[in-house]
Amino acid sequence: MKPAPFEYIRAESVLQAQEWLAADPEARVIAGGQTLMPMLAMRLVRPTRVIDIAGIAGLDEIAVTAELVTFGAMVRQVTVERSAAVAQALPLLAKAIRYVGHPPTRRRGTIGGSVANADPAAEIALVAVTLGAEVLTTADGFSARDFFLAPMTTALPAGAMVTGLRFPRVTAARRGTGFAEVAMRQGDYAMAAAACELVLGAGGEVASLRIGIGGATPVPVLLDLAEPTREAIAAALAPLEMMHDPNAGAGYRRRAALALAMQALDEAQREVMA
Amino acid sequence: MTVQLQPPFRYVGHKRRVREDRRFVAGGGHFAADLVLAGMLHCAPVQSEHPAARIVGIDASAALALPGVHAVLTGAQLAAASEPLMNGANTPLVVRYPLAVGQVRYAGEWVAMVVAESRALAEDARELVRVEYEQLPFVTDGEAAIATDAPLVHPPHGSNVLLDRRFVWGPVAERFAAAPRKLAYRVRWARSSTVPLETFAVTAQWDASQDVLDVWASIQMPKFPDQIARSLRLPGNAVRVHYDVDVGGSYGVKRGIKHAVLVGHLARVLGRPVRLVEDRLENMTGGDMQGPERVFDVELAYDDDGRVHAMKMRALDNVGAYAGRSPFQLGKPIGAIVGPYAIEAVEYHALAVASNKTPQEAVRGFGQAPTNYALETGIDQVAAALGLDRLEVRRRNFIRADQFPYLIPSGTTYDSGNYHGLLEKTVAVADLFAERDALRAQGLLAGVGIAACLEPSGGNSSFEPLLNPANRTTTWMESCRLHVDGLGGITAAMHTTTSGQAHETLVSVAVAEVLEIPPERIRVIRPDSLASLPSNSPVGSRMAIMLGGAAVRAAQKLRAQLLAIAAHDLGVSPLELRYSEGDVHAADGRKLTWQELVVIAHREYFRLPLGMEPGLSASSIYMVPTGGALPKDDKVQMYPCHSFEFHYILVAMDRVLCRPQIRRYIIGHDCGQVISPDVVKGMTLGGIAHGIGAALLEEFSIDAQTGQPTAASFMDYLLPSAHEVPHVEIVHQTTPSPLTVFGQKGSGESGYLGSPAAIAGAINDALAPHGVRVDQLPMRPALLSDLLEGTHT
Repeated sequence: MKPAPFEYIRAESVLQAQEWLAADPEARVIAGGQTLMPMLAMRLVRPTRVIDIAGIAGLDEIAVTAELVTFGAMVRQVTVERSAAVAQALPLLAKAIRYVGHPPTRRRGTIGGSVANADPAAEIALVAVTLGAEVLTTADGFSARDFFLAPMTTALPAGAMVTGLRFPRVTAARRGTGFAEVAMRQGDYAMAAAACELVLGAGGEVASLRIGIGGATPVPVLLDLAEPTREAIAAALAPLEMMHDPNAGAGYRRRAALALAMQALDEAQREVMA
Repeated sequence: MTVQLQPPFRYVGHKRRVREDRRFVAGGGHFAADLVLAGMLHCAPVQSEHPAARIVGIDASAALALPGVHAVLTGAQLAAASEPLMNGANTPLVVRYPLAVGQVRYAGEWVAMVVAESRALAEDARELVRVEYEQLPFVTDGEAAIATDAPLVHPPHGSNVLLDRRFVWGPVAERFAAAPRKLAYRVRWARSSTVPLETFAVTAQWDASQDVLDVWASIQMPKFPDQIARSLRLPGNAVRVHYDVDVGGSYGVKRGIKHAVLVGHLARVLGRPVRLVEDRLENMTGGDMQGPERVFDVELAYDDDGRVHAMKMRALDNVGAYAGRSPFQLGKPIGAIVGPYAIEAVEYHALAVASNKTPQEAVRGFGQAPTNYALETGIDQVAAALGLDRLEVRRRNFIRADQFPYLIPSGTTYDSGNYHGLLEKTVAVADLFAERDALRAQGLLAGVGIAACLEPSGGNSSFEPLLNPANRTTTWMESCRLHVDGLGGITAAMHTTTSGQAHETLVSVAVAEVLEIPPERIRVIRPDSLASLPSNSPVGSRMAIMLGGAAVRAAQKLRAQLLAIAAHDLGVSPLELRYSEGDVHAADGRKLTWQELVVIAHREYFRLPLGMEPGLSASSIYMVPTGGALPKDDKVQMYPCHSFEFHYILVAMDRVLCRPQIRRYIIGHDCGQVISPDVVKGMTLGGIAHGIGAALLEEFSIDAQTGQPTAASFMDYLLPSAHEVPHVEIVHQTTPSPLTVFGQKGSGESGYLGSPAAIAGAINDALAPHGVRVDQLPMRPALLSDLLEGTHT
């Protein structure tokens, strides 16, 4: 488990990283390294150059405004986990982040790295799709729904890099969120996960209901829901392609997705009523 | 006959700090990979990409051309310079070398070894080694491998069956004919293992001026130096294994003989120290460290009261591509084949089958945990068939405390036990059935799991002559040597490696108990193999009994020597003297202190009894208490001592997600007189964690279509983490063994031997109201959910 030889370079700015990336199609960006390092060690990837973006000033900041919450690509997952501002502005992300790996991996792992990696089981990507976040890159910005194309595959153009993730901020007073997942072990890759945000209007009517599914499907999916019922969720899940592996088949994932969506919805409903 | 020391004990059984903890917790361990020698070279294996193929040719020229590459050793080269590795089974045509010779037999098998200035360079170079293969048909399933048209793993052997032994102990046919009730079932134990944090590591150096091969290795292997010497055609005293290397986990698998022979050969021919440290992928695919993989077909004959009178068991073990000692893992359970139950007659069919999978190695319990799972499944099924309480069925079948010593049909006498006592004590902790019903009322699936089983301990090798009559080895000793230096300090030597079992604590407490001197004052060392007395290494849950026994014997000899010196000096009979805390007192008030006795022994020869040798030292080479008789009439006394454990657990899970959560884990444990409470507790907790892995998570799975391993790293081979291991409530009972120095029994396998059975039982109890059951491990959530849904295929 020693990587094949590569050149390690540390970018000072996004512009510099972008230039290096554009110059060498075999170069790879490293952020927290929680996926790339094992892949390098097992020689599953063999980049010519590894461009470290950890030293780029400003890329590790969280900006919260009245309408938006913006994460730089290098924001560590542990920073999100411990941020009071995130807990207040994006409670769904605050809940989901605790399911990302384990404390030691969250200390290194980043928001941008997780998004760029596009693991179908990734909780950050699921929340991004659920809440309609925008993936910021050195090329265009992408809606999260359009960014994730397939497992480990994104719409990121060649030579570009992810620079951040931007969430719209819901300021409604009556909001509830819920997150649930099932994995073989705590902190392991989700076999299915569900994220829910429920916003009620002034009169107690449903102003907005978002339920996203991850882990079970090749990419996170925001369900198309007319109403917050089991039947509606099941109907929305029905056309979706489910993944399968030796641990869990498609049938299990579909049932689990429904059960977890109901758990997440129930949690959000209880929260909004409280 | 062992004279047993009686309580109250001064140090034995008292809670004391485990001596090794400080060094391991503070990073002071000294592991094989910590050793750095001048000029040391590094290895990386070239592994087979096919489960079966003929090796047409190996072209290493490009690799050898890389600067810093010193050698690329092939199987043919090594085979020409060495003898095959030891084969325990009676299959002379199943030949095994450290590197594949002519043919590969499993995906991941080591085909060549690259040696270079650094490990990274060796990995670069191995990518340049071109191996031309001609693919052959393969078989990975154990049952498919015994079909007449199955591809042969070893064509010269003529069959894939490596061991096929049927035993009939007692009136099996009569009991089955007479029984009013019978049931038959099948259970599967998937291939899992102990997976140590430290992979296998070995460094070897050839000292050409002395003709000695020095070996530092992460091992837990009986007869390790002998095996290296035999394979490398060296005299026994030309191999020096350094036992003072710490071992970062083993529980059976750190055998490493192929690794050591390889590296020893390379060190010799290259004239440089050579190190091999497996990475995780190499360890899991080609390190030959996977455990038993079994299909059990069992029939029970029982009566309307739930009494089981006879059992027929067929155990088919898929041992992988080579034999080694793995077929013996079907033999060890013969010593506790009826578990804690008074089953009168047993038919046992042991079938070890070769396949194109990684060879199997010893794993904690040496085959006992799978057998216990099979037996406990049957006891639960008897209860279910009769509508009886599972606890009650166990009570009715347990051997009673007044029946010990108890001879089981297969020839082993159980030393002591009180199974009813521990069951009652354990179930008194909580009413898990009521807790289960409360969980069910909340809409959860919930089940109670029960497992009662034995831990045979004080390991010997009696299964070897039983399964392979050509093997007449029954001696299985352990040794300890004590030395008191000229300043009065005590040093105890043990003569094997230690892999986390706290042997230094064991030896110091045992010696301290006899000499009445605080354990902290006793240094425990592990000299190299050339400076050692015979040992058989810490296998078979034996060291508390065997090393503890040797340490006590040696200490008793030393104490007798001190008394003899004092008696001579004081002019009285030793019988008139009293030994107390190192000093010797005469009835008239005179005394000789420890320091005075040391001075006499070391410096004042004129005060020594006539003919006594100077200095203070003693040693013991201790044999397994029940001795070493050869098998007779297909029966043998296996291990001498039998610890008992009773698992009583509560599992809950969601109806759809089906991820089992262990809500309560209560275990009753009886290993006789406990020597070091914290060590026993650690063994039990670790054993339960290990069992959770086997029951729920761990499997060295393989793609049947391609023969490729699909769990070759921690990404896919799922070990339980701290999150998956529950709080464990331990209930103690002490039923001393009459055979051992303190009444102790073994505990190195505790927890693991019954936890998979208990977890499986709990899950089946949770599933039972829904009309489904599962009889294979690991019990993955999707499997359970699919069964409930009726969609499992």
